[in-house]
Amino acid sequence: MAADRKSLRWVLLHGIAAIAVLCSLLTGLRIASLARPEVARFEELLPQGEVVGLHFLSALAITLAAALYVGHRLLTAFRDGATLSYRLRSLSAWRWPGWHRAIIRAGYPVLLLSLASGWLLFIGTQWHLRDWHYLGALAMLCYLALHAGLYLARWGRHSLLRICLPQGGQRSHTRLLAGAGTLALTLLLFTTGWIATVDQSQLPLPVTQIPLTDPQHPPIEIDGRANEPQWQRAAPITVYTDGGANFDDGATEITLRALTNGEEFFLSARWQDATRSLVHLPLLKTANGWEVQQQGFHHFDETRHYEDKFAVLLSSNCSFGAAGTAHLGRKPLSDRPANWHGKGYHYSSDGQLHDLWHWKAVRTNDMYLADDNFIGPPDQMRPGERRYTAGYQQDGKESGAYVMNWQWYKPTTIVPKRLPADPMQLAALQNDDRENLREKAEWVIPWFDYQPYSAAQDARFPEGTRMPSVMYNSNRFEGDRADVRARGEWKDGYWNLEMARKRVTGSALDAPIAEGTCLWVSAFDRSQIAHTRHTRALRLQFSAEPLQ
Amino acid sequence: MKIWQRSLILLLLPSSALLTTALHQPQDPRPAPYHFTKIDASGGPLPIWSGPWSCVCDHRSGLLWEVKTDSENIHDGLWTYSWYDNSWADVPDNDQFTAQPAAHRGAPTTIGTPNNGDCYFEEERCDTADLIRRTREEKLCGVQDWRLPTAAELQTLIYTDAKAGQPTIDTAFFPKTKRGDYWTSEQDESLQTVYNYLKSGAVAVSFVDGQPITIPHRNAAFVRLVSDNSKSCH
Ligand code: HEM
Ligand code: HEM
Repeated sequence: MAADRKSLRWVLLHGIAAIAVLCSLLTGLRIASLARPEVARFEELLPQGEVVGLHFLSALAITLAAALYVGHRLLTAFRDGATLSYRLRSLSAWRWPGWHRAIIRAGYPVLLLSLASGWLLFIGTQWHLRDWHYLGALAMLCYLALHAGLYLARWGRHSLLRICLPQGGQRSHTRLLAGAGTLALTLLLFTTGWIATVDQSQLPLPVTQIPLTDPQHPPIEIDGRANEPQWQRAAPITVYTDGGANFDDGATEITLRALTNGEEFFLSARWQDATRSLVHLPLLKTANGWEVQQQGFHHFDETRHYEDKFAVLLSSNCSFGAAGTAHLGRKPLSDRPANWHGKGYHYSSDGQLHDLWHWKAVRTNDMYLADDNFIGPPDQMRPGERRYTAGYQQDGKESGAYVMNWQWYKPTTIVPKRLPADPMQLAALQNDDRENLREKAEWVIPWFDYQPYSAAQDARFPEGTRMPSVMYNSNRFEGDRADVRARGEWKDGYWNLEMARKRVTGSALDAPIAEGTCLWVSAFDRSQIAHTRHTRALRLQFSAEPLQ
Repeated sequence: MKIWQRSLILLLLPSSALLTTALHQPQDPRPAPYHFTKIDASGGPLPIWSGPWSCVCDHRSGLLWEVKTDSENIHDGLWTYSWYDNSWADVPDNDQFTAQPAAHRGAPTTIGTPNNGDCYFEEERCDTADLIRRTREEKLCGVQDWRLPTAAELQTLIYTDAKAGQPTIDTAFFPKTKRGDYWTSEQDESLQTVYNYLKSGAVAVSFVDGQPITIPHRNAAFVRLVSDNSKSCH
């Protein structure tokens, strides 16, 4: 076998394809581990960190390799047209090509599936292609195992030599030159392709200019309705987001509209969510005491007893993976604490601050605010804190305006901070009807409606009592954390959220909102961290002239 | 090597790697050793990520610190106090609990301004002597010798790596701390000699910038008590 060596061209093409497919597979499986426990089981074998960008880099390499290969085949077929007719004729005389060839041929449709579903996933269609792409990846895994495995079993290290060492012998000057030229052209193509993918793949989100003061219309009210006439002027954009918990197959479509009056930036978001989830880690009285209702909160990954949320990420950086902040894996930073759920965390690796608005249907909605957070460099280790959130942090203030109604969280039983003065205050929450619990009952406790905990008072609450756990201890965040006004209303299976912030706040932790600012949105359906996402960023495009 | 040998290796190597990782349970994060220990209300130590806790022992200084709450008890972090010391009225001269006995011999038996801070637990308004008295009576964390810290003691808690907008203290151990001034036991010598009532003051440490500042006794500031003689910290 060693005797008939492959050409240099073949060695290069095959090498690039092999490395890129392996890289796609490993980074892809890491991405899949976010929502697929069966993949997460093998997490030790998967790469960590900024894998999303890497996945697209290798995707481009495979695409290019595949295109070159197809081009090459077409070219040779064209050059000796005889081969084509010979081939067609030989179809009738078809015979089994042997295992190696059969596997290689089976690999082409697999690669086609991966490429097609991958690019469609990248573009963002609403066709729920994630499972198809995953299927392609599993098939690709089998292909690699069989293809490489059989060669290695049959030929041992000779097969490695064969794919690494090209034919020797003299090459003519012109052929060398042509080869170098092709190589340079390929590299150039790859680089421009990558730059184009990075720079040009964003979706424009038009920001319509409205007058600062408008004698005809009252100013926009942040009430979750977006029914002012000004909103009619904004051109809507719909993005398909998936990969979250709950929703319909973890996916929801988000329709966005944006306005500015020069000083303020207004964003309206509307997304489908069949259930209005307000029951946020409720407390249940059991024989042993009060328990926090949860199913994952202990690992900071609650997906059931949680409120709905929505997040907006704003940055001057438009890199893949949430401005390059999504670092996947249990411990993407070797010198920082791991995360509890093994999924990963957000931080910026270049020191840049990215703005994050985090609207919460219970904890911030009644304040008409979104929590103003940011993603910065990974925080230092703080031994007293059980949860390390890396770059994801709050703008100022220790706890903002809400606290949880337990003295200290435990997975077993907790002691509430406060209790209602009269058990009858909880009557409306005791009705077991899911609809009632989820959608109508009041799940925020105003601080002064309750009184400090005492055992005597506790004895008045029978076993089985349900109690909310979110307490407002003031009705505003203070300082920088209160920069984003927001109000959501749920109606007929959709959340409608209106948000507003000054374009320039003067806080060092807020990104200015300007032409070209990139924006990502994520919806959370009663989940703590498992959110939907989209690959291509939205890029703000301000209209030039203010409309009158 | 024969084909079957190679095949065996090629089969065994990956499958054992897959099996090992599938069986391996990733470990939950574990706390790193640290110089603070949480102490519960009766004086017992708690694991670092447990709670609720009432005091913190700092193993660097051997000091036991009061922890603030939001439970409206006497340790609530919102309460403020005027600086007031009446221990000279009824305590023998060599009292070990107060910081500067010598300076005050023969001086008036009370110093400072009583009842000029805001809290809910006293009939009248609050001063530092109220919190000290109540905390001693309560034997918080099994300790009776609660007192105001010196500025140097309080400054050992200054934590310059605090997150944006937070007080300069490790809030994972000292929650409900305000970005404000916390009283120390120190009387400002230079101001004391001046007979102007308003100009006499005591030192407070700011948990915004970590610096000491002399303010009039009648000001309402926050308090965090300390004990240097606790069982749980020695
Ligand atoms: C051999 C080739 C490839 C393999 C084995 C592969 C594998 C994977 C896997 C396993 C996932 C995770 C799916 C899940 O969440 O269940 C993934 C995600 C993805 N892949 Fe690929 N992929 C390949 C090629 C491509 C190509 C050519 C593109 C085109 C750009 C692409 C774009 C994507 C996108 C957009 C995602 C979703 C990223 C996200 O969830 O944020 N992939 N890939
Ligand atoms: C579309 C823009 C994105 C936004 C606005 C966003 C927002 C967020 C937010 C707010 C959290 C924290 C939830 C909480 O702790 O309460 C979070 C967590 C997380 N996000 Fe994203 N994200 C985005 C994109 C991505 C992407 C593209 C990935 C990966 C492919 C990702 C992976 C993760 C993971 C693994 C966590 C868990 C981190 C932890 O709990 O510490 N995110 N994200």
